[in-house]
Amino acid sequence: MSLDNLHVDALVVGGGIAGMQSALDLGDQGFQVALVECEPSIGGKMITLSKVFPTLDCCSCITTPKMSAVAHHPNIKLFTYCDVQSVQEADGGYRVNLVQKPRYVDASKCTGCRECEYACPITVPSPFDRGLGAYRTIRVPFSTAVPQVAVLDMDYCILCGKCEKVCAAKAVDFNQQPEPFEIQASTLVVASGFELTPLGAKKEYGGGKLRNVIDPLMMERFLAPTGPYGRVLRPGDGKEPTSIAYVQCAGSRDTTLGIEYCSRVCCMYAIKQAMLISGALPLAEITIYYMDIRTFGKGYEQFYQNAQAMGVEFIRGKVASIREDDDQNPVVKVELTEEGRTIERTHDLVVLSLGMVPVPGSNTALNLPLGSDKFIAIPAPNASPCATAHPGIFVTGAAMGPMDIVDSIVTASSAAAAASAYIREHKKEAVYA
Amino acid sequence: MPENTPNPESPAPVEPEEIRVGVYTCHCGGNISHVVQCERVAKMVGKLANVAVSRTDPSFCSDAGQAIIEQDIKELGINRVVIGACAPSLHEQTFRGAVTRAGLNPYLYHHVGLREQDSWVHASDEEGATEKAMRLMAAGVAKARLLDPLDPIRLGAEKQALVIGGGVAGLRAALDIARQGIRVTLVEKSPFLGGRMAQLESIFPTDEKPRQLLHDLIQAVTAQVGITIFTQAEVTGVSGYVGNFSIQVTQHARGVSPEMAEALTAACTQETPDPFNYSLTRRKVIYQPYPGCYPAAPAVDWQHYDGQPIQVNGKSIVLQDDALVHELIAGAIVLATGFDPYEPRQGEYGYGELSQVITLPQLIRHMALVKNGETLTWNGHPVRSAAIIHCVGSRELDGVHEPQADGQVNNYCSRVCCTASLHTALEMRQRFPRLNIYELYQDIRAYGRGHEEIYRHTQNAAVRFVRYHGDDGPKVIAAPKGDPYPVLVQVKDYLTYGEEIEIPVDLVVLAVGMMPRQVDDLVNMLKISRGADRFLLEAHPKLRPVEMAVRGIILAGTAQGPMNIQESLAAASAAAAKAASLLSLGKVELPPFVARVDPAKCNGNGACVTACLEEGAIALQTFVENGVEVQRAVVTPANCTGCGACVGACPNRAIDVQAWTLAQYDAMVDAIAMDWPELVEVEK
Amino acid sequence: MSDQKNGTPSRGEVLKRLREAHGTTVERSQAMMKEQKQMQNAICQFIRETPKTVPEIAAEIGRPTHEVLWFVAALRKYGIVVEAGMCGDYPLYQRAKEVQV
Repeated sequence: MSLDNLHVDALVVGGGIAGMQSALDLGDQGFQVALVECEPSIGGKMITLSKVFPTLDCCSCITTPKMSAVAHHPNIKLFTYCDVQSVQEADGGYRVNLVQKPRYVDASKCTGCRECEYACPITVPSPFDRGLGAYRTIRVPFSTAVPQVAVLDMDYCILCGKCEKVCAAKAVDFNQQPEPFEIQASTLVVASGFELTPLGAKKEYGGGKLRNVIDPLMMERFLAPTGPYGRVLRPGDGKEPTSIAYVQCAGSRDTTLGIEYCSRVCCMYAIKQAMLISGALPLAEITIYYMDIRTFGKGYEQFYQNAQAMGVEFIRGKVASIREDDDQNPVVKVELTEEGRTIERTHDLVVLSLGMVPVPGSNTALNLPLGSDKFIAIPAPNASPCATAHPGIFVTGAAMGPMDIVDSIVTASSAAAAASAYIREHKKEAVYA
Repeated sequence: MPENTPNPESPAPVEPEEIRVGVYTCHCGGNISHVVQCERVAKMVGKLANVAVSRTDPSFCSDAGQAIIEQDIKELGINRVVIGACAPSLHEQTFRGAVTRAGLNPYLYHHVGLREQDSWVHASDEEGATEKAMRLMAAGVAKARLLDPLDPIRLGAEKQALVIGGGVAGLRAALDIARQGIRVTLVEKSPFLGGRMAQLESIFPTDEKPRQLLHDLIQAVTAQVGITIFTQAEVTGVSGYVGNFSIQVTQHARGVSPEMAEALTAACTQETPDPFNYSLTRRKVIYQPYPGCYPAAPAVDWQHYDGQPIQVNGKSIVLQDDALVHELIAGAIVLATGFDPYEPRQGEYGYGELSQVITLPQLIRHMALVKNGETLTWNGHPVRSAAIIHCVGSRELDGVHEPQADGQVNNYCSRVCCTASLHTALEMRQRFPRLNIYELYQDIRAYGRGHEEIYRHTQNAAVRFVRYHGDDGPKVIAAPKGDPYPVLVQVKDYLTYGEEIEIPVDLVVLAVGMMPRQVDDLVNMLKISRGADRFLLEAHPKLRPVEMAVRGIILAGTAQGPMNIQESLAAASAAAAKAASLLSLGKVELPPFVARVDPAKCNGNGACVTACLEEGAIALQTFVENGVEVQRAVVTPANCTGCGACVGACPNRAIDVQAWTLAQYDAMVDAIAMDWPELVEVEK
Repeated sequence: MSDQKNGTPSRGEVLKRLREAHGTTVERSQAMMKEQKQMQNAICQFIRETPKTVPEIAAEIGRPTHEVLWFVAALRKYGIVVEAGMCGDYPLYQRAKEVQV
């Protein structure tokens, strides 16, 4: 692959659902698109989820075809495992400096057979499973990864060469170096996504310390068929939980955390997970501690009413703290705001319904102005809802603030419309193939 | 016109070839495999005649899964593919792509919906579901043996779009489509552009002036090359299909010429309640809704004009509605038909019975009519205390709330009313500092960027919050004579542990939800679907969130569901992106699932023509056969929807729908009805 | 991007250079591997014949339950350990037959 002098109409930063959708919409109109992803595979957060609300479609059934469509699209060039180093305005567009990080595997040779992974002697926590599952130092990041190419983590490699020995394609290449390259683009679409509020952010809740207090993406993995345990177990000791609690607004609407906004998705994912757990563990009792239930999207209120009808317990209350009893059970101290008293309840497993925060460092190279919520600022939300303060740079998905998948996809198409209009108006030559 | 349509009279001859079927039973990420024993199904199907390979995979729709199928086609010479997976609506296209990439005709593939037709509906019967899966897959194989290669119907696409609705979403969609080099016709029912947004005074969370924003947007639209605007116009006829819709637009006359406008308006005496102010005021039947509206010229409200002459300069003028009919062609249609505020029932929270009960949109208009510095009054009395009741016409519960005239209750959340109420409360606090304001809510849904800040400001602005339960809502009653306040709101407040309280007020404001605009005509003309909530229904909330199931029909804004302005704009731009993707290449492809007549079996009896539900899809034509003139049915593929009505009507079995032929159905039925011992035999 | 034609360093040189550059991580990872091997062997030994729950394994080998679960999950992923029914609320795990660690 030649990385020199690549000119594209649009460069999309981030290969999650929003970035993929923007790239597809631009590519479908005949524009040349570069899609840059810092991880070894596209798919973003969405590909790690189990099922998605409110349709309860299997998540990989929605995501993997989009990943495949991006990979096969004649107008989209995919750059995975690449970091954006800097962005400069140049020739009426943008010059983007990137670096291809070394996989230590030749992507053009690797067949994704995973023989190297099986041969590798070192097991490391897999971020795909939020650290609760494992993979090897050299691995295909997850079963539906795009591209299906192994990557070696030099931080855990002992250079034993076993992977090299078993690779029939002779794809392992210890000589790879970081390779800088440059792309010229008429316009940029930023789809750098979100992170969860750190699990340990609110000390009183014991996240990160108490083993059976987990984050919602961990529960997504437990509910996914490819999850670390193949079933729902609590990570402290492998017990199948019979009493599970959700603490809403555990990383949102909390001035003490400096996260004053509502993260929009937590009510719905908690309700969805509660429904999925009810399916997987019919005897489990599920409690959701909340302040306001915000099921505002299309079909969401009905979803909430269905969950109530299914027997999910909704308790209006403010969780003050969580401690652990002698059997690793989290004990939740909650102020029942409708009754004016405080109780303690013991559960097997507690999920903190954490909110969304910007990905740390995601704006370093772009240096776009941010809002008070630290997400990328939109100067005129009621006129140009995807335009950043820089002309020709558009933003979509959770990079512009918390939003769910439906909203991410809609804003992705919206950003694509804005970007394509910008390309046509600012680039006088024909853009059609 | 179709560029390349299959010739109905001479179907492509099928070369004799060895049929090699590849069968793929997908786990669907557990959706199927948690119920159906996929490995057993694959093993059994693998033993059927012509099956060259039978595999399972956690998700064949993934890139790796598709690669397996492609590899089999290339390396094992597979020439028919059967995939048992989710519904075809989800991934039939995905797999057609994979089959095509491997060099096989995309229609030599059959999709079996194992998820919707089996595992999801038989979740508690693993054995039965597994047997059913075997039968469904066996039927798929039986059909696949008889599949013929087909070509899609390729049609030129008009690089023109129609946008219905001139509110903020329609304006934005029109602008963004035209910016892609596609011509747009914008059709607006009322005489003026701007829609509901023009009735607002301030937009959260930025406190911008909505009419100023609209003015800027309309200016951009009118300055944009390629946009034609029809106001006072309605779509009165649609025919055709994606890429080539023929549309009839009926446009009413403005009714007053520019030179006569001033004089006629001044002379007009007939008045009607002003919908712009939600009937709080009256206006003339020759009107402009507000200063600065677009177009600026006044128009006649034909619905209310009584036809009486107006006296101007001694002349007696009767206004005439000389309607025009425009014929247009469009490749895609964007529906931006918007919403209406929910109209509370007579007596709902006292509405229509107590004069002190109004809606939030009315309050916003009323406050706009109160001059700055004046106090807030209602019915001539100063308002000292006002209660805003949330979720009126939203989040209704079956069995608790009285159904509406059509039997529906509005289960959905209208999402904008919480922040709109809080935002209005803040404005009241600023303008009328001594007013007591109560917000009666279930959950505060200040979800958007900057909305939570508004909530916090409201909490700090001495607005009192009362939380009620949806199944035990507030009651609004007239206060007993002699009470200092005219109305009492009785409610159980769960912020004070369920205490029953009584709030004396001068004004009750109902934060009404959104209802879809009444668009029955369009729904019938375009054959499109509405959801259970009666809003227009997208094809799939994630895969195709702004497109409808009918190809070429795209949704923008609140026609699809409640949204705020920012969300409407984003949805409208997304709709523009879809229209551009569809039309910018100048051609569209339609699936080849259309009727095909076997002229050897047709005797020209015309039953098919009578049975046909579409216009111009099938007709009799005269041919000469052995020197004799005969009538034979001929299909026009672009007009055929493949519904199969003609197939059933034909007494000679002369018509088939391509890829769904009678012979294929026969084979499928035989396979499904296979004796169970036979099935077991095969499974061994 | 691994298109190194002329002046390609030999495999030995490459590994030597990497060893120098990543000396501390290689050492740390080697120690980690040793520990992992011990842990995996201990777990597999204990569940070779009879399936056990995570707390049972943890008690036997004297390691915390969460750590044991993590290893069991890893072993299960690579087919070395399989689930073998439930004991109360805990799944039982057993060493898979005819698989080499």
